[in-house]
Amino acid sequence: MAVTRILLVAVLAVLFLVGAPGAPAVAFDGEKALHEAAKKEKELTWYTAHYNSETAAAICQGFEKKYPGVKCNYVRTTAQVAYQRLAQDQKAGIAQASVISSTDQSHYTKMKQDGWLQPYRPKNLTELVDAFRSFNDPDDLFVATAAGLVLITYNTSVVSPSEAPKKWTDLTEPKWKGKVSIGHPGFSGYVGTWVVQMRKLYGWDYFKKLELNKPRIGRSINDTVTMLNAKESIVAAGPAATTLESKSKGNPLAVVYPEDGAILMVSASAILKNAPAPNAAKLLMEYLLSREGNEVMVQQYQDPVNKHVKPMAGGKSIAEVKTIRPSAAEIEKGIPEVKEQFRETFGI
Amino acid sequence: MTDAAAAVARRWRHLDKSVFVWLLLIALLLLLVINPLARLLWASFQHPETGAFTLENYAAAYGRWRHIEALINSLVIGLAVAGLCTVFGVPMAWAVSRTDMPGKGLVWAAVLGTFIMPNYLGAVAWILMAGPNAGWLNRAYTALTGAAAGPFNVYSMTGLVLVIACYSFPYMFVFTRSALDLISSEMEDAASTLGAGALRTTLRVTLPLALPAMMGAFIVEFLEAIALFGAPALIALPARFQVMTTMLWQMFEFPPRVQVAAAYSMPLLLITVFLFWIQYRLIARKGYVALTGKGGERRLVRLGPWRWALLGYCLFVTSLSFFVPMLVVLQAAFARAWGRGFSLDNLTLRNLRFVLIDQPATRAATLNTFVYAAAASLIAVGLALAIAYIVARRLVPLGRVLTYIAMAPFVIPGIVLAIGFYAAYTAKPLVLYGTAWILILAFATRFLPIAYTNADAALRSINPELEDAARILGGGRLLALRRVVGPLLRRGLAGAFILVFIPATRELSSAIFLYTTGTQVLSVLLFDKSDEGNFEVLSSMGLILVVVTVALVLVGFRVVGRDFLLRRTAS
Repeated sequence: MAVTRILLVAVLAVLFLVGAPGAPAVAFDGEKALHEAAKKEKELTWYTAHYNSETAAAICQGFEKKYPGVKCNYVRTTAQVAYQRLAQDQKAGIAQASVISSTDQSHYTKMKQDGWLQPYRPKNLTELVDAFRSFNDPDDLFVATAAGLVLITYNTSVVSPSEAPKKWTDLTEPKWKGKVSIGHPGFSGYVGTWVVQMRKLYGWDYFKKLELNKPRIGRSINDTVTMLNAKESIVAAGPAATTLESKSKGNPLAVVYPEDGAILMVSASAILKNAPAPNAAKLLMEYLLSREGNEVMVQQYQDPVNKHVKPMAGGKSIAEVKTIRPSAAEIEKGIPEVKEQFRETFGI
Repeated sequence: MTDAAAAVARRWRHLDKSVFVWLLLIALLLLLVINPLARLLWASFQHPETGAFTLENYAAAYGRWRHIEALINSLVIGLAVAGLCTVFGVPMAWAVSRTDMPGKGLVWAAVLGTFIMPNYLGAVAWILMAGPNAGWLNRAYTALTGAAAGPFNVYSMTGLVLVIACYSFPYMFVFTRSALDLISSEMEDAASTLGAGALRTTLRVTLPLALPAMMGAFIVEFLEAIALFGAPALIALPARFQVMTTMLWQMFEFPPRVQVAAAYSMPLLLITVFLFWIQYRLIARKGYVALTGKGGERRLVRLGPWRWALLGYCLFVTSLSFFVPMLVVLQAAFARAWGRGFSLDNLTLRNLRFVLIDQPATRAATLNTFVYAAAASLIAVGLALAIAYIVARRLVPLGRVLTYIAMAPFVIPGIVLAIGFYAAYTAKPLVLYGTAWILILAFATRFLPIAYTNADAALRSINPELEDAARILGGGRLLALRRVVGPLLRRGLAGAFILVFIPATRELSSAIFLYTTGTQVLSVLLFDKSDEGNFEVLSSMGLILVVVTVALVLVGFRVVGRDFLLRRTAS
């Protein structure tokens, strides 16, 4: 037991040293007092759908390292399940989670409406990438803490860079018949946003044409990574972070930043009104916006939301890329509509 | 003492005290099963907002052709899977139980491995093997024949049926085998004496005697297939059709329509009742008592050269279900990048290290998984045996109703059952949400039907005369149970325990809504991995689940005795 613990600490230390080279720690006003208050709460629980478990684990480890004495328990799941669990907790009157990070815009509107959230304006908000400010709640109930891109992805062992699709409309070319992989808007918020944006750009005809190519439809947007690795499909509308992470391990994958625009997903986090650890929750919100926190995210191939942190090697910074995205209102109104249209066109 | 009091005291003295035990156990059954189901039934008639009585949920659930089509798909899959499981499981069970086929230990181990493997892990492996574009089988076919495309397509109804059957036929195998183990050769000898050959004897005597067990297994296979979520989500969606569970999942999307989901799953109860009515009608008028007090002898059927053909068939089926998928999982678990295939420089322990060391949740979840599964199995087997006994010996009126109640949890998809559990155990008098007990009771309830079917089949094979003998000699019913029935059933019950324990270790659909931060189990961690596109880590965790379960089950066999693993049937 003691040996494993020492090993664990050693591994964490090494990870941390490698993981955050020279990120200057910038203290914010009242950080010490907040840390002291959080220590009294000992631990916090964080429901998150923003990243995969490796990233959530790495962020929690970084958080615990920066704020000793505060334990960070993450429950990583999909946005729908995270919301379902939270709704159960609320209904049962159980205070379990202190921070919620969903990827579904409409969850925040509903949680705000139902009075589940408490306001907090992080001090580190000044470091947030300017373009993401518009996603914050005007009443400070939720704040953008994660960003990601939906891109064209492909398997490099079958498709050469010159052959690869350059823009979204290329996916409807007959040469990709039976070889395209996409997710399902009924399962994934990322896919839903992508579908809403495609409909906005090219009308629903885009999907009628895509259907002629008989795309392979998975659940999550991450399923496209599995499909490409298995060579079952060779091109896809996939996520930047998971694809690049898989590529970094040596899988034969590559991404294309589409000429007509990469889909930008910005997701918020919020503190719950009944948070059992409100101070630790505030501390975590600060950490998610901090330089150290974003260095950890970048190590895990996530896009940073702190404007001073550079994106990962091999990926482009969101500022360098042409990004497009529907507005919050368009997403909220559009996702239920496109789910229905999607089922009609694709039959599932 | 007055006469009246003396009369009461006399009646009390002569009353069989065991009746209180039965009543208590029936109350426990009602609490575990009826409570969540009643809340579910109530929800199906409840208006989502006002809570008033309404039929709107049923209109929403059945008002669309898409929803009905999904239901039909599920029924077709259920029947096809149960049929295929019979084709897979019965010959293997017969071979292991009644013949001199070689390699029985290997076959039994492979069936055990199949049973332990979570179906969603197997489904991913099958996508690699039979994917229409790049599946290994198709690539081998095109390389051999020069054809442009291979014939195999896992993304189809047939593909899904095959994958589900691969991971559920062990029920058929185990149920049939334990029934065959009990049949004495005297019955077969009678047939041979009258001039029947080995084949005819097997088909007309041996297998029909195992019919109640086979029919029980058939129903379990059917229900298991229609309630499954993992494999259909991975295969049916890309194949462009829906089944009941994927449709239910959509009902839990934001905003969740729990009431509609409840209404959608209700009529399945009727199907279960219908199936059991058929089973009852078919076997009611015949006698299936195989285990009597007269010591029967069991001899192996000598197959000659055919024993190798039979072994070939067993290995073929277990290759489909276990050996080849396991190879895929092993490759991915130890690969830096599984998309690169087999090569030495692609080997790494990084994934296992992440799972075991960097992710602290794994160790806690591993411990939780096995502790909860063991506790749930104990509760389920104990309760199932008691209820089956009450029904079989007609200790209370309307005992058959108890059968339906004990079997009911199986037909409600775990995902919906979880909502019932949730509703039942967050309100007074039993507030269990947030504790381990809600998971333990949920698992126990969910797998009660497996325990019940097994206990029932085991009891049916025991002639009541054996207990009557004990009671005639002055023993009470509880004594007869303890000294006569218990020892006769020990092997069957150990089997039932394992049959509940294993699915409880991989149970996902009810766990996903009931766990809290301190009570995570491996299946939930695995499911969360399945949509992260990280197959290397997913495989590592699957491997840990399989290896630890196999180890525990083997230790269990040691404790029960070698007899349980490989019964020496030769005299």
